[in-house]
Amino acid sequence: MNRIFILIPLIVLLIICIFSLIYLLSGKDPNKPPSALLNKNVPSFESSSLYNSNKVIKTKDIKNKKTLINFFASWCSPCKIEHPLFFEIRKKHPELYLLGFNHKDATLDAKKYLEEDGNPYHFVGVDSDGLIALEFGVFGLPETYLIDENGKIIYKFMGPLTKDILINEIGPLL
Amino acid sequence: MSSLVGFLSLILAIGINFYLLLSRYILRFKNQRFNFLIRLSSLLTLLSFFSLMYAYVISDFSNYNVFQNSHSNKPLIYKISGTWGNHEGSMLLWLSILSIFSFFFSFTKNTEDNFQKLTLIIQTFLHILFGLFIVFTSNPFLVNSILVNEGLGLNPILQDPGLAVHPPILYAGYVGYSIVFSIAVAGLFQNSDDEWLHVAKKWSLISWTFLTGGIALGSYWAYYELGWGGWWFWDPVENVSLMPWIAGLALVHSLMMVRGEQAIKKWIVFLSILCFSLSVFGTFLVRSGILTSVHSFASDASRGIFILLIFFIVTGFGFLVFLLKEPKKSNSLNLLFINKVSALVINNILMIIATFTILLGTIYPIIIEVLYNKRISVGGPYFNSTVIPIMIPGFLLMSIAPILSWQTNKIKNSKKYVLGLIILSFLVLIQSYFLDFNSWGFVGLLLGLWIILASIIAIFSSYNFKFNFKFFQIINPHIAHIGVGIAIVGITCSSVLQNELDFNLNVGDEFNVDGKRVLFKEIETTNQTNFQSLRGKFLFDIKKDQSQKIEAGKNYYPVSKMITSEAGILHKWDRDIYFILGDQKNNEWYIKVLINPFVSFIWLGVIIMMYSGLIAVTRR
Repeated sequence: MNRIFILIPLIVLLIICIFSLIYLLSGKDPNKPPSALLNKNVPSFESSSLYNSNKVIKTKDIKNKKTLINFFASWCSPCKIEHPLFFEIRKKHPELYLLGFNHKDATLDAKKYLEEDGNPYHFVGVDSDGLIALEFGVFGLPETYLIDENGKIIYKFMGPLTKDILINEIGPLL
Repeated sequence: MSSLVGFLSLILAIGINFYLLLSRYILRFKNQRFNFLIRLSSLLTLLSFFSLMYAYVISDFSNYNVFQNSHSNKPLIYKISGTWGNHEGSMLLWLSILSIFSFFFSFTKNTEDNFQKLTLIIQTFLHILFGLFIVFTSNPFLVNSILVNEGLGLNPILQDPGLAVHPPILYAGYVGYSIVFSIAVAGLFQNSDDEWLHVAKKWSLISWTFLTGGIALGSYWAYYELGWGGWWFWDPVENVSLMPWIAGLALVHSLMMVRGEQAIKKWIVFLSILCFSLSVFGTFLVRSGILTSVHSFASDASRGIFILLIFFIVTGFGFLVFLLKEPKKSNSLNLLFINKVSALVINNILMIIATFTILLGTIYPIIIEVLYNKRISVGGPYFNSTVIPIMIPGFLLMSIAPILSWQTNKIKNSKKYVLGLIILSFLVLIQSYFLDFNSWGFVGLLLGLWIILASIIAIFSSYNFKFNFKFFQIINPHIAHIGVGIAIVGITCSSVLQNELDFNLNVGDEFNVDGKRVLFKEIETTNQTNFQSLRGKFLFDIKKDQSQKIEAGKNYYPVSKMITSEAGILHKWDRDIYFILGDQKNNEWYIKVLINPFVSFIWLGVIIMMYSGLIAVTRR
């Protein structure tokens, strides 16, 4: 009986170590929490175009096609880094719908940014008060979501995309 | 150059420890030679640490670590503290403190030679583990591959005098438990008489006192630097320091009480191993980057795995020895309904439950994330509603525990205590009735005051007052408990009775705070050596001739592009008036004022506890 008591610390130790080890090996980053929205329906949104406020995009407009949603802003420097990659995606996967949300930005700055660096998006929606980002649970810019034909979020990435992620993580899902 | 000296001396120190560890089984050293080598390796480790500090002081950017974490514009004190303001340097500090403890332990007299040697051998084993960790994953002596003439700065939030001394003191507490661990394990191996208990008591008191100081400094820093007006947030990093603190408290109490009972001796060994294990576990959680906070510097997985391995080896080794070589012989436990031993047992059980409750809350998110890939956070509400109720019976017991008898159920002067408690409850009840009644506030205030009152009654009714050192040694347990009581009063008042006021103000406006007129005098921006400061200046109580100035604002650090908030605090003995300067909108400044009653009591209580810790070291 006594022995079993003394064994408890060792068992607790083992459990803690195993879980910590799995945590470390799975490459989880505490700065990047897993999205609660993964495998859930895309939150409903409605946003007007950056270029024409009469043109509006709604949740049902992206049904039946794979959509890549990217939150960006002109003031966000990491966004600038990943920006050229969207042209590559568009070239490689012409069927993929690219939807950009301009997050908490001044309209003029955003237009200038897309003029200088080019506009890879099929549609640029305005999210000036950040409410859409709030619905998506955006943590910090840039953030990218992949939505499948059924309107389910199947992938989420926080921070600037890289070629490696594009090929190894997003590529297989397309 | 200094990097080379530092690296070589570190390697040499680890080498000597290897030699010592192996030699135990090959050569039989004379004690003098053994102690000489231990001290030599300690000094070499310190030399290594000071060469890194030297590189920081002269801003030697050819050292990669200095380049990453320092800047030539920084004031000297922050260059020095920059040595441990980063992962690599702080691990070297950890190792250096381990060496310092071994160094001083090698001088202890009155211990059996073999026992002392064995303790130090275990220390060398720990030194090797952490030394290799530094060399392979966290080398602070890497040479910068490119030529640079300026560094990248230090996390500005860490540029604070309180925080410059917080890590060394906290580490002294954490690492101090390594000696306690080694003593306990050596005691198990030797299965000797109870000599080791006395030695362990001294060292665990020293470690506990340091740990108390370290936690209090960190908490005080959070209070005035983070600008939320609170001083404890149940942040995981705080939790990992609180666990060894509570376990250490249980250990200190057990060591004071032990009279050769086998069960308690076993318990002491368990606690000694637990304290150091929790220290290493805390280091693992913070350093592996599993937790994010101001303490987690850039991290990578290999470091985390290495330190997890160390945690596993150290803790596993400790508890395995405990399993195989449990202490034998001795008397049985003298448990009565209420005597010293039973009070001690109850208090220890409560403390350990509290420790494991905190442990569960801290690791629960990790387990959930592994199992369900979901992020949850366990915070204040969990800890407040579990840990505090667990501790309450312990606090109640604390007030009378020191005067309980060993052999009988009798409490001396029990009538006095009952009368005191009744009168006190009545007074507190009236007091809470006039302020808005809050059950937690009532319980906390009553407990805190009761502990103070009962301890004072105990001092004056049980001992003859004499003004000499011996007397202070005798009443020391009561003094320690008075410190706890004062801290509880401070904690209760500052959290339950806190008052928050919000203002939107133009410069020149007058407003009322705490019944006094306050003038928002001006906004001033200045350029300091390594940051720009923005300060809102306020005059408190302008009706009086000598109104007091309060400055609250923000600092901007251009090198790291970070803004820190600097709260303006007016300290009074019974309350802190805490000003926070918010953002400007349409020429109006958002200003938040917190009135925190009796915060100073928390720090006073902590200082009294530390004083008692030091006095207790002197008592045999």
